[in-house]
Amino acid sequence: MEKPSWTPIVLSGAIPREATDLLAILVMGIVALEASLATIGPAAFNSRIWLSLLVVPPTCALASVSTTTRRTREELALFAYGGSSWQILLRYFFRGAIIALVAFSPIILQVFLATTSLFELIVPVIVLFLAGGLFYSLPSLRRLQSSSFVENYKS
Amino acid sequence: MISVIETRSVIVEYPSIRGVLRLYDQGVSLKVDQGDFLAVLGGSGWGKSTLVNVVLGLERPIRGSVSFRDHDVTRESFVKRCGLVKTAAVFQRPTALPQMTVSQNLHLALSLAGVPRKERDERIKEALAFFGLDKIERSYPDGLSAGQRRRIDLARALAVKPELLVIDEPTGDLDGSATNLLIPLLRGLNRNQGTTIFMTTALPRQASQAKHQVHLRPPTYLAPENRMIGD
Repeated sequence: MEKPSWTPIVLSGAIPREATDLLAILVMGIVALEASLATIGPAAFNSRIWLSLLVVPPTCALASVSTTTRRTREELALFAYGGSSWQILLRYFFRGAIIALVAFSPIILQVFLATTSLFELIVPVIVLFLAGGLFYSLPSLRRLQSSSFVENYKS
Repeated sequence: MISVIETRSVIVEYPSIRGVLRLYDQGVSLKVDQGDFLAVLGGSGWGKSTLVNVVLGLERPIRGSVSFRDHDVTRESFVKRCGLVKTAAVFQRPTALPQMTVSQNLHLALSLAGVPRKERDERIKEALAFFGLDKIERSYPDGLSAGQRRRIDLARALAVKPELLVIDEPTGDLDGSATNLLIPLLRGLNRNQGTTIFMTTALPRQASQAKHQVHLRPPTYLAPENRMIGD
């Protein structure tokens, strides 16, 4: 038996490429830019970052939900091609994580230039990565677990 | 002989406005041996597509079991089943990925099936040519007709060279000439390459082309007290 490859399913869908993905980057980018340009002192700076992070879950979920019809078709196709739920979720997790990281890159860059502590840089990056990925993939998880999902294969 | 697929007394139920809809009232028990070509014949709404989903692990029966090569896979996913028997599925509704071209769709399916990169181009070329898709290989599925999208699914499934081909109403959405080509193609695959085929159809003439047939019965509606859902 040939060993099935799992990487194509993840790599072919991990790069954000749809209009709603770009919108999410834009929304978060504006917030991030505002935070990075604000003339606030170092003490308040970190709290500003955490406040900005709040925008990640709803924006990522919105980006994912707004294309439900198209995404359902993708999921049905990937299942038909032999993909698993986990591969499909991972595909969207990475896409969500990339969206959040790209959008928050101005803040990440600023923290990188300003801080002497690696910890202060890594923690928000990890939180961004997880929050973006998780909230982008949650709508897909909900769809895949729905009993009506496979009804879409029938005409 | 060990069966590729075996179902024992499979029953599926759905809640519906008219009561509980029970498919396969007496339970579906069937065996598909290696190299077999089985046609499941039944009317519209009799559970042909549901049986395909049950065989593939996309839906679970209320009662009964499904085995692949003597392994009980009733609770296993499609991916696990593919590990036991290299399976390709063609569903009633076209499933090509909308953001990929025809050719890219086939590439993805073959790479997922573990087909070596150097073999992929040749197999894709053959499959596209066979189904008359070579001129639209760079087109996206959304711009194509239902029949063309159906052919993409068939090309994708056959390019994988599966041990087991599960195909739900193969000629739906196909025009007359494509329909006339398809059943002989399936018979050829079965005879020459030993591909085991599990096919559903509503057409007795089509079912008669298979080596064996199973006839489904119409579903029944149960009063709520007789339902098995939630047992």
